[in-house]
Amino acid sequence: MNNDKKVKRPKNSGHRMSRRGFLAGSGATLVGGAAIFSCTGLFAANSKAAQKIGEESNKTLLRMARDVFPHDDLEDKYYQQVMAPLAKRAETDPELMELLTVGVEALNQESRARYGTAYLRVETEEERVVVLKAIESSAFFQRIKGDLMMGIYNNPEIWAKFGYGGSSWELGGYINRGYDEIDWI
Amino acid sequence: MAKFDLNDDSLVVIIGSGAGGGTLANELAQKGIRSVVLEAGKRFKMSDIENDEWKMFGKISWLDKRYVEGPARLARDFPNLPAWIVKGVGGATVHWAGVAMRFQEHEFKMKTTNGTVPGANVLDWPISLQEMEPYYEKAENKMGVCGTKATGMPYHGKSSHYKVVAEGAKRIGAHCEQAHLAINTQPRDGRAACQVTGFCMQGCRFGAKWSTMYTEIPKAEATGNVEVRPESMVLRIEHDTNGKVNGVLYADGNGNQHFQKARIVAVAGNSIESPRMLLNSASNLFPNGLANSSGQVGQNYMTHTTGGVYAEFEKPVHMYKSTVVPGIVTEWQDNDPTRGHLAGYELEILHLGLPFMSAFLNPGKSGWGRELADSLANYDKMAGFWICGEDMPVESNNITLHPTEKDQYGLPVPVVYKTDHINDTRMRNHAYARSKELFESVGAIKVNDLPPYPASHNMGTNRMSEHARDGVVNRWGQTHDIDNLFVSDGSQFTTSGTENPTLTIVALAIRQADYIEDQMKKMNI
Ligand SMILES: Cc1cc2nc3c(=O)[nH]c(=O)nc-3n(C[C@H](O)[C@H](O)[C@H](O)COP(=O)(O)OP(=O)(O)OC[C@H]3O[C@@H](n4cnc5c(N)ncnc54)[C@H](O)[C@@H]3O)c2cc1C
Ligand code: SF4
Repeated sequence: MNNDKKVKRPKNSGHRMSRRGFLAGSGATLVGGAAIFSCTGLFAANSKAAQKIGEESNKTLLRMARDVFPHDDLEDKYYQQVMAPLAKRAETDPELMELLTVGVEALNQESRARYGTAYLRVETEEERVVVLKAIESSAFFQRIKGDLMMGIYNNPEIWAKFGYGGSSWELGGYINRGYDEIDWI
Repeated sequence: MAKFDLNDDSLVVIIGSGAGGGTLANELAQKGIRSVVLEAGKRFKMSDIENDEWKMFGKISWLDKRYVEGPARLARDFPNLPAWIVKGVGGATVHWAGVAMRFQEHEFKMKTTNGTVPGANVLDWPISLQEMEPYYEKAENKMGVCGTKATGMPYHGKSSHYKVVAEGAKRIGAHCEQAHLAINTQPRDGRAACQVTGFCMQGCRFGAKWSTMYTEIPKAEATGNVEVRPESMVLRIEHDTNGKVNGVLYADGNGNQHFQKARIVAVAGNSIESPRMLLNSASNLFPNGLANSSGQVGQNYMTHTTGGVYAEFEKPVHMYKSTVVPGIVTEWQDNDPTRGHLAGYELEILHLGLPFMSAFLNPGKSGWGRELADSLANYDKMAGFWICGEDMPVESNNITLHPTEKDQYGLPVPVVYKTDHINDTRMRNHAYARSKELFESVGAIKVNDLPPYPASHNMGTNRMSEHARDGVVNRWGQTHDIDNLFVSDGSQFTTSGTENPTLTIVALAIRQADYIEDQMKKMNI
């Protein structure tokens, strides 16, 4: 991800750049690690979805989300933000809620069969990935994966973190903003 | 603007408004020949064009139900999206990348060049490069192709993405050149110069890139000789008792059906819909579909041998700050069987945005996990290619009609079967290997091979042939079986060539317009 401070950036006062600045600041510290998961789930704690699915499952989903597209320097809030629409839908869509509940159960079952403990308590990412791989083709997994992919990589708010510029026509493209700049070739 | 009566039987009816149909309409209009263009999709405005990959995909793509079949990975990764094309006025020229290259001489005679290829249905085109040259020149001028004699327009500036690849090519001794793009580098023909937004494949907001949407179509309409009817999906082409086509049945945006009479019908719905229309028009007189006495309608479906290669470097490239295709490594575009495969390929420098990269880097169910995430985290340090090589015409690669399932218009859903010929596989592997070598020579730390994604180039399903037994249309795109029925799009291609197809589609349409004018004057049609 783009934390190379030496990269020359075109001068620009547009809102996109200031958002980039903000994100770069807030994302600079690494907030991975297990500690964070003891208090957070994928759905906001006060949401109905979180209450319905239960604390343990909620945390499991967040762990899973971070394992599916692991970006250690992307804070939990982004994963949660991505899943907010899913959580909202699950509140009123019993079938979706069922998909999630049953999905988490299946995940834990698979995990217990392999490692004798629930997914959340499987220590290493390597081992958890084995569990995920086993349920990869399930509708549950593909749903989470699809929503995450769109939510993370198609999210204008975090494009700057990946060094992607997004829409540029309103800024006049790159014709005068460094399309030909490269200093290492 | 012209408005024609449904009962006017003096008109040319053109089905589709993309590269082939849009060009044909304007060429005929300039000659004073009147036509109705029936276009299944909507008419978009410039302000509908956004720099957003998924939004534009959702807005303009052809998303009617289709099936992909065959053992290729595409059938698993994208079971309902064989091709990435547009449903809208302008067709796929709305989101094409603008690469405009001429065929090489030998590519019009692949049978003569390589002899019979086992498992492939290779045939010479009934026309030569020499015959095409004046039309290529006209097409380059019409479209505004930079770096050509026809326009005198300079190339685009060299982008950072281009520079990385050009240096790699130099180091391994491969030829790399800036791309001939139908994209203005200067204001020309009432259109702006390129601003390098980097979103050519989402539609050009500035109109710098040629698209029939805002060039041929409005020019045609301005003559008063053309009526464009958007949201008009052609259901079938009908004929009289003598076997001449006499009109088409279509459904408007509200689902109401109309019958438009015609003197001539030109089919230009791209290589899945064009044969589908002919097959759907089967009648007592033509039980296997119109113009299908050869049995070749829908067969020999070609998409080019494709794939992607994206390399990750230690330092930023910012490939998205560029026209989508800034240059091409042409080193292996010739036909040199000593490489282990027949025909050639181009390595087209091409960027995707982060959203599409996440979907295409490892498409399908297994596209997740740390390796993928780490690569995506390196998005700004990537450079890459889209491989575009000649694929072999294989009869069993085809478009057929689903036996039971119907779409929203009540038409049988098309089933697209496409799999590699062994030559395609060998060529792709060669391209992967050379790309890796090239990128590693400039310090790539990882090189990702991407499988083919839904086809952007679709060709061959109504192919041109000298003899009626071998193909669907003659050297003018006129069907062998029915004199007043023409095919005007990429489905005419006898073989795919190495080059991107659109310049050739446009050149063929210009040439076809001359022929139609001549034949109308002679009262032959
Ligand atoms: C992302 C992308 C990038 C590309 N880049 C390049 C490039 O750089 N260079 C290049 O040469 N080519 C490129 N292409 C390919 C190029 O766009 C096509 O080859 C070309 O547009 C095909 O022309 P066509 O006339 O065959 O069909 P199209 O341009 O697709 O036009 C067909 C039209 O017919 C309409 N239609 C279909 N069925 C019906 C029906 N039953 N009734 C009414 N209307 C119907 C469709 O809605 C469509 O508008 C690209 C394509 C894509 C998708
Ligand atoms: S890069 Fe140029 S041609 Fe491409 S969309 Fe932007 S302005 Fe248009």
